[in-house]
Amino acid sequence: MEGLAPFLQNLSGGLLIGGIYALIGVGLSLIFGVMRVINFAHGEFVMLGMYLAIVLFVQLGLDPYVSLLIAAPAGFLVGMVVQRLVIARLVDIPGDSTLLVTLGLGLVISNVLFLVFGAEPKSIYLPYATRTVMLGGIRLPVAQLIAGGVTLVLITGLWLLLTRTELGRAVRATAQNRLGAELVGIDTPRIHALVFGVGMALAMAAGVILAPLLFAIPTAGASYTLKAFVVTVLGGLGSVPGAIGGGLLLGVVEFMGASYLSSGYRDAYGLFAFLLVLLLRPEGLFGRTVKRV
Amino acid sequence: MTQGPDAPRGAAPAARPPRPSLLASPWPRLALVAAAFAAWYFVFPSALSLGITLMLLAGWATAWDLLGGWTGQASLGHAAFVGLGAYTVGVTAANFDLAPWWAALLAMAAAALLALLWGRLTFGLRGAYFVLSTIAIAEILRLVAINERRLTGGAVGLFIFDLQEPFGLDLFSRHVEFWFSLGYLLLVLVVVALVTRGRLGYQMRAVREDEASAQAAGINPVAVKSWAFVLSAALTALGGCLYGVFLSALQPQPLFELHLSVRIALVAIIGGRGTLFGPLVGAALITLAAELFRTTFAQANLLIYGLLIVLVVLFMPRGIMGELERRVVRRRYAKSARG
Repeated sequence: MEGLAPFLQNLSGGLLIGGIYALIGVGLSLIFGVMRVINFAHGEFVMLGMYLAIVLFVQLGLDPYVSLLIAAPAGFLVGMVVQRLVIARLVDIPGDSTLLVTLGLGLVISNVLFLVFGAEPKSIYLPYATRTVMLGGIRLPVAQLIAGGVTLVLITGLWLLLTRTELGRAVRATAQNRLGAELVGIDTPRIHALVFGVGMALAMAAGVILAPLLFAIPTAGASYTLKAFVVTVLGGLGSVPGAIGGGLLLGVVEFMGASYLSSGYRDAYGLFAFLLVLLLRPEGLFGRTVKRV
Repeated sequence: MTQGPDAPRGAAPAARPPRPSLLASPWPRLALVAAAFAAWYFVFPSALSLGITLMLLAGWATAWDLLGGWTGQASLGHAAFVGLGAYTVGVTAANFDLAPWWAALLAMAAAALLALLWGRLTFGLRGAYFVLSTIAIAEILRLVAINERRLTGGAVGLFIFDLQEPFGLDLFSRHVEFWFSLGYLLLVLVVVALVTRGRLGYQMRAVREDEASAQAAGINPVAVKSWAFVLSAALTALGGCLYGVFLSALQPQPLFELHLSVRIALVAIIGGRGTLFGPLVGAALITLAAELFRTTFAQANLLIYGLLIVLVVLFMPRGIMGELERRVVRRRYAKSARG
């Protein structure tokens, strides 16, 4: 593997996968930024999205990109319910209780998926998505291109929501200073429920666009949660633009590491990057300062 | 997470404060634990393997609690140390014919060093960095165990079939392993009892309750957390060595997996974080329940663990022993207030 073309090939593949990582990581980062909750069930919601897409495809013949329109609102509702029923009761308790509760939720989801669908990998076969497009000597799989496009639309939408609407202002205010936000009349519990819902909608949407690309296994959720952590730490915990950069970077690092070093360690490169960032720049590559003891 | 005795309102200030049960001597209860497991050996000779897995899990959870409970730094990567211990015995026995007791020392030293570096990396940062890194490091070790086939046998695994025998004891006999595991559990309990009653134990609790105040009182939080982590890691790795010999077939999947880390943390949380016997009680409950409902557990063990974590955190955050301890302390306060 030498020369520019393979390099560009890896770069584009990494960026396209990285876009999906960014989508997963943005939700986690948003939830952390606003609620100070680390959602350990994040990857399991990605798996929920994947399996929802598979069920809709097998039962109703629904194209996965159409089922996005069902999965994202479903994720939003489920997220709101989970937040209201479980996380809202713990958000004011210091310590690691929200972390443990979301970890428990993740275990429950992945085990239920296993009981319903079994352990064997499942996937969606879309004839048009397996084709590739040649672009200046670079092969681009259609499924990855669509995934990149959907990611771009969703993240732009989120960015517009956060920066251009009154609701977005309320969300940012809650993230900056919850008490202050309450003093100016923002219903912060509602914002929390909303943010958790948005995070879960993004996670499930990511699962849906991953369905034609990868096999779905019930236990794979944990590895997506881990990737989302890596993304957010690379970009700075709680920073939404940082998570986008972190996601793209993680995708590229994985692709480059797998093709130039050793493919067996593909999942480890991101973790090494994560440890390096902790060592050198814990506020994240794009973040502001972090509190040290 | 505030634990420890909280005084009920209205207690007369003149009343002599009772000794919190935290300080009650643990030695009689320790002897009781030893006697109970010794009795297990003679009463249930057909359930030795169950006893071994129970004692090892209890030992790991008690060691986990040193960091996760007493110092308040929950780790979700303790499987890394279990796997490190097991693989150290396996790899050194297969490649260098090293005696298992030297391998155990080596594993403990390696675990301590790893914990020290790891603590350096993350304990200085406030927030969730430590717990995130624990998962990452366990995952990296799992990938190393899968990929370094020459040393570890890769995904297929590594078999331990020949070990040097200490004092002519066959380490593959369940009878020998049972007593070794009991010795291990007691060792962990004694170390934790001594540490938590000593200076370091008070410092650990101070850091757990309020890091800034602890620092104001002259405690170095990073050093205290690092010490707790080093002890916890070395003790867990020692149990991992025993577990490796017990399994004799080492595979990266069950050894380094997140589920093992979660189970270790879960039994400590259910039993009661920051209590000496809580992790043991939690391990006993989980192991025996898993044995009784084995067919259900085989399919749905994660579902059950997950629900348990959610329920315990929501409704009984102190865990079983923590709740009991609080009741005892409250009753004593009430009694001393009445005079």
